[in-house]
Amino acid sequence: MDTADAIMTSDEKIEIESIKGRSLLGDAWQRLKKEKKAVLCLGIVLFYALIALLSWWGVIAADWGKEVGASYSPPSSEHWLGTDIFGRSVLQKVIHGTQIAMSVGLISSAIAIPIGVFFGAVAGYFGGWIDELVVWFYTTFSSVPQIMLLMSIAFILGKGITTVYIALGLTSWVGLARLIRGEVMKHKDRDYVQAAGSLGAGHGRKLFKHILPNVSHIVIIFTSLQFQVAIKSEVILSYLGLGVSGQPSWGTMIDDAKLELARDVWWQLAGATIAMFVVVLAFNILGDSLRDALDPKLKGKD
Amino acid sequence: MDLLSIRDLTVDFNTPEGIVRAVNGISFDVPKGKTVGLVGESGSGKSVTSLAAMGLIPNPPGKITGGQILFEGKDLVGASDEEMRKIRGNEISMIFQEPMSALNPVFKVGDQIAEVLMLHKGMNKKEAWQKAEELLHQVGIPDPKSSVQKYPHEMSGGQKQRVCIAIAIACEPKLLIADEPTTALDVTIQKQVLELMFDLQEKYKMGMLFITHDLSVIADIADDVVVMYRSNLVEKSDTKKIFTSAQHPYTKGLLACRPSLDKNPSRLLTVADFMDEQGNEIEVDPEKTKLASKPKQEHKDDDVLLEVNNLHTHFPIKGGLFGKTVDHFKAVNGVSFKVQRGKTLGLVGESGCGKTTLGRTILRLIEPTAGQVIYDGVDLTKLDKKQLREMRSRMQIIFQDPYSSLNPRMTIGETLLEPMDLHNIGANKKEKIDRAKWLMEKVGLSASQLSRYPHEFSGGQRQRICIARALAVNPDFIICDESVSALDVSVQAQVLNLLLDLQDEFGLTYIFISHDLSVVNFISDEVAVMNRGKIVELDKAFKVYHNPENDYTKSLLSAIPKGVPKELLEEGTR
Amino acid sequence: MSSTWNYIFRRVLYLIPVLLGVCFLIFFLFNVVAGDPTGILLGKHATASQMAELREQLGLNKPLIAQYFDVVKSAFTFDFGRSWATKQQISQMIAQGAIPSLSVTLPGFFLATVVSILLATIVAYFRGKGIDLFIRILTIAMMSISSLVYIMVFQWLFAFELGWFEISGFEYSFPEVMPYITLPIIIWIVLSLGPDTRFYRTLILDEMYQDYVRTARAKGVSEKKILLKHVLRNAMIPIITYTVVQLPFLLLGSILLESFFSIPGLGNMVINALNASDFPVLKAITVLSAVAYIVFTLVQDILYTVVDPRVKLK
Repeated sequence: MDTADAIMTSDEKIEIESIKGRSLLGDAWQRLKKEKKAVLCLGIVLFYALIALLSWWGVIAADWGKEVGASYSPPSSEHWLGTDIFGRSVLQKVIHGTQIAMSVGLISSAIAIPIGVFFGAVAGYFGGWIDELVVWFYTTFSSVPQIMLLMSIAFILGKGITTVYIALGLTSWVGLARLIRGEVMKHKDRDYVQAAGSLGAGHGRKLFKHILPNVSHIVIIFTSLQFQVAIKSEVILSYLGLGVSGQPSWGTMIDDAKLELARDVWWQLAGATIAMFVVVLAFNILGDSLRDALDPKLKGKD
Repeated sequence: MDLLSIRDLTVDFNTPEGIVRAVNGISFDVPKGKTVGLVGESGSGKSVTSLAAMGLIPNPPGKITGGQILFEGKDLVGASDEEMRKIRGNEISMIFQEPMSALNPVFKVGDQIAEVLMLHKGMNKKEAWQKAEELLHQVGIPDPKSSVQKYPHEMSGGQKQRVCIAIAIACEPKLLIADEPTTALDVTIQKQVLELMFDLQEKYKMGMLFITHDLSVIADIADDVVVMYRSNLVEKSDTKKIFTSAQHPYTKGLLACRPSLDKNPSRLLTVADFMDEQGNEIEVDPEKTKLASKPKQEHKDDDVLLEVNNLHTHFPIKGGLFGKTVDHFKAVNGVSFKVQRGKTLGLVGESGCGKTTLGRTILRLIEPTAGQVIYDGVDLTKLDKKQLREMRSRMQIIFQDPYSSLNPRMTIGETLLEPMDLHNIGANKKEKIDRAKWLMEKVGLSASQLSRYPHEFSGGQRQRICIARALAVNPDFIICDESVSALDVSVQAQVLNLLLDLQDEFGLTYIFISHDLSVVNFISDEVAVMNRGKIVELDKAFKVYHNPENDYTKSLLSAIPKGVPKELLEEGTR
Repeated sequence: MSSTWNYIFRRVLYLIPVLLGVCFLIFFLFNVVAGDPTGILLGKHATASQMAELREQLGLNKPLIAQYFDVVKSAFTFDFGRSWATKQQISQMIAQGAIPSLSVTLPGFFLATVVSILLATIVAYFRGKGIDLFIRILTIAMMSISSLVYIMVFQWLFAFELGWFEISGFEYSFPEVMPYITLPIIIWIVLSLGPDTRFYRTLILDEMYQDYVRTARAKGVSEKKILLKHVLRNAMIPIITYTVVQLPFLLLGSILLESFFSIPGLGNMVINALNASDFPVLKAITVLSAVAYIVFTLVQDILYTVVDPRVKLK
């Protein structure tokens, strides 16, 4: 520790702290909390996250695989969402599926964000041949229809949850990179970055300290929307036989329903669809509200 | 009966922070065939007033909550949409500030003029186009026959504003409302457009409501002047009276704070010298009055700090099949000058003349194509990255737009500490913060505001923060790139005074870049006039303004509004 | 005008690196990462000589660079070889599959676009009012349900339970084909309506706040006419160019729809190939759709210069 720091009074320390800025998330929350529907949606998302965590820790729905009743028994007071073909509780499966859904959103975002931000920032900031190279690279990537790319990656990596994570992560960074590139280009020429340059700030400082904090709201908005895209894509991958296996997910449950509807077994489909509808709707509205609150220019005004 | 009578007009806006009163019970008249100037700074409510007269207040969030707008005796406040539509563009028409975006980009100019004629005059398409051609001729657009076929983007800013005027006068309205119609234009174009507007007004005997932030623009054209300040009407009178015997302290301040070409005072009086925060008149400090009438001192020493030799900055123009460089745009094309230590060189020119590029090239924020920049004996163009970075603590720049020149995600404290961190000024954090506080006080802000964010400050305050940031590294040379152009006139005067105070205190050397000749005249010792990448005239400020040699300089100077009503000017010479 | 041709020429030249890049991506996925498929194809009991023979036959023993050039060549010649599963010429299979695919997607796309532009315009006119809010909530809710659920429930309800349409199958003659494709077309429209309406609404509203709208109001033009003439004409520029890049995806059809309704289109072909590990077919469809996409982005760029008078080419 600096000697000066050591002899400082606590008042002075508070004072030094006080010139620090709010974090981006803090800022987002400040602006978001004015809107009731956004707060409600955030509440729903956090509730799902809690369910997912509890199920992951094995606190709830740990024995989703246990036979609890007759095959295909309809919803009753005992089994709120009925049972599936093996007599397992659909409710337990829906709860376990929450874990899959949230992890798919989280991990695919965690894969897409570093790639997208890196390429977008580098291309937008440096411009010139670096920009051309990056643009060529993502144009190439986006020229293959996403569904084909998703399928090829999933097909090549084989079935399983890891495949779903990687395939969804690798197919969704291009949009983020494009947005980041555009924003970085805009900010690069703003006077505050020029001013930093005239003060002697190097590329690293200009990019990381000045520009990126000003475009990072895009990442928050992207994450919110990526969750709902990922959750919906998991269903498609499951139908194509490239999804999760060995454990229930909303996708596999909806996929099962293609044989069940004809037998008037609707509860597994309904359970998974409603669970999914609520959280995807919440993410959709949250994403919109974030966009309006953090960057009204990204989208139309209301 | 007056053409337009506004009676106790009140307009409220519903914002997330609550109801904001944009216009607070104002009354004034526009007589038939006369021009009324509506003067005020940003946020004074002048534009809202004009939109109210057109029935164009966006609702929600805005609403006229009281008063009347009588047009030929008929109250427009209660008028139906249908009735308003028949009046708009026909009996009352309007010209806006931004000609660049005011025209629909996908329709031909002819279509856009013809539309209003077909709408209100029942002309068919052929007649309307014929008339459009005639109108273009009237507003002075060359070759109207081919010009009607043009799209807006094929015209210059001045021409677009002429098209807007053509649209506005197409139906020979009784009242023309012009909202800062020349603010976005260069000074020479501004003069031509103003002349055109007043010729047309005489010809069609229109009443005109001319809205502006700049008293000097309307000085020799308005019959009456209405002054608005913070949603209220503070003074209305005939123009001559306003200029000779203004009553309200705000008006007095406005008149005093604008530098004029004939005087060369040490400091400017500002609105704050006449009026306190609550709007009460206060006694002007005699010390300040003295400074405002005392001519600026001549700096004597003859010590060159900066020498620019044959500087070139060229930008490639790509073209041809493979995007090869086919030509160069010579933004700075062989510029040489010297700046004396402790003095100010004013750099003046119209948009696109290369003055901003020149400023940035001197600091090597843009790399020069050729030439030398010798700063205190060191050729900046030869420095490597590390040497240049060290040099940056001696040379600073203050930009035009106070809204984009501060990082919105950094507090003022962080903003001021960054340059000290970069150049190792201050032994520890405590010292740096103390220095930041000292800087804040130097630029007239409170030291307790360090934890605030830029958006919590007004434009003028932000510009002060930018000045503090520049001073943080102890520079001896600062380039001010249009640093006061985005500010309201009263704030402009304060910032100019501040720059001069700091120059005296720290012995700073400035290059002051601006399109505004009066401001440059006030602040500079020497003035360089720039046109098309070259300096066409460079001399002592007094000499350039009173005895220009170059034709371009002469045309620039003659285009500046005199800022005094014609009659007064004539009386003065008599 | 010559500058326009220069631009187009340069834009066409740019296709080459993108095409080579796309081919490399596909080659990398299928020939490098996916590895040797002969094991899958011949089953567990294949002998070494059988496998070597198959590799020879499939061109997998060629050096990688030659395999890459095979991919590039196929992008130009559309000669994709034969399917491993059906032994048919792939180009022939694609030609056969295109008709059923397009017979669903073309009308679906056309109707969906018209309806959503219409809806978006209405919603933009009543912006901030009840009907705008209602449609915005409806579209966002519609988008929150998996497309698979729509297909399943619609098929079950309208075809299976109510018997209004055929459950599955296809006819190559008109109007016999209608009972087979009507329901898929309706589902396509329902699926597109949400995202399209929201997107077009944004584009139209962006224009509503431009300065020229204020000028038009000052002229005395009515709100309706401002929207229909001034605003829509400007908003059509991004709308048209956006729809153009959607066109290549129509070729591929909807994989899910074709699979559920047993429509023998390209989408179904993809599913079959996926189940049979039929690499050449998957590769061919990927190459083909990528080429189509690249060509249509070129068309989009050129279209910009036609529909937007502001786009002046250097």
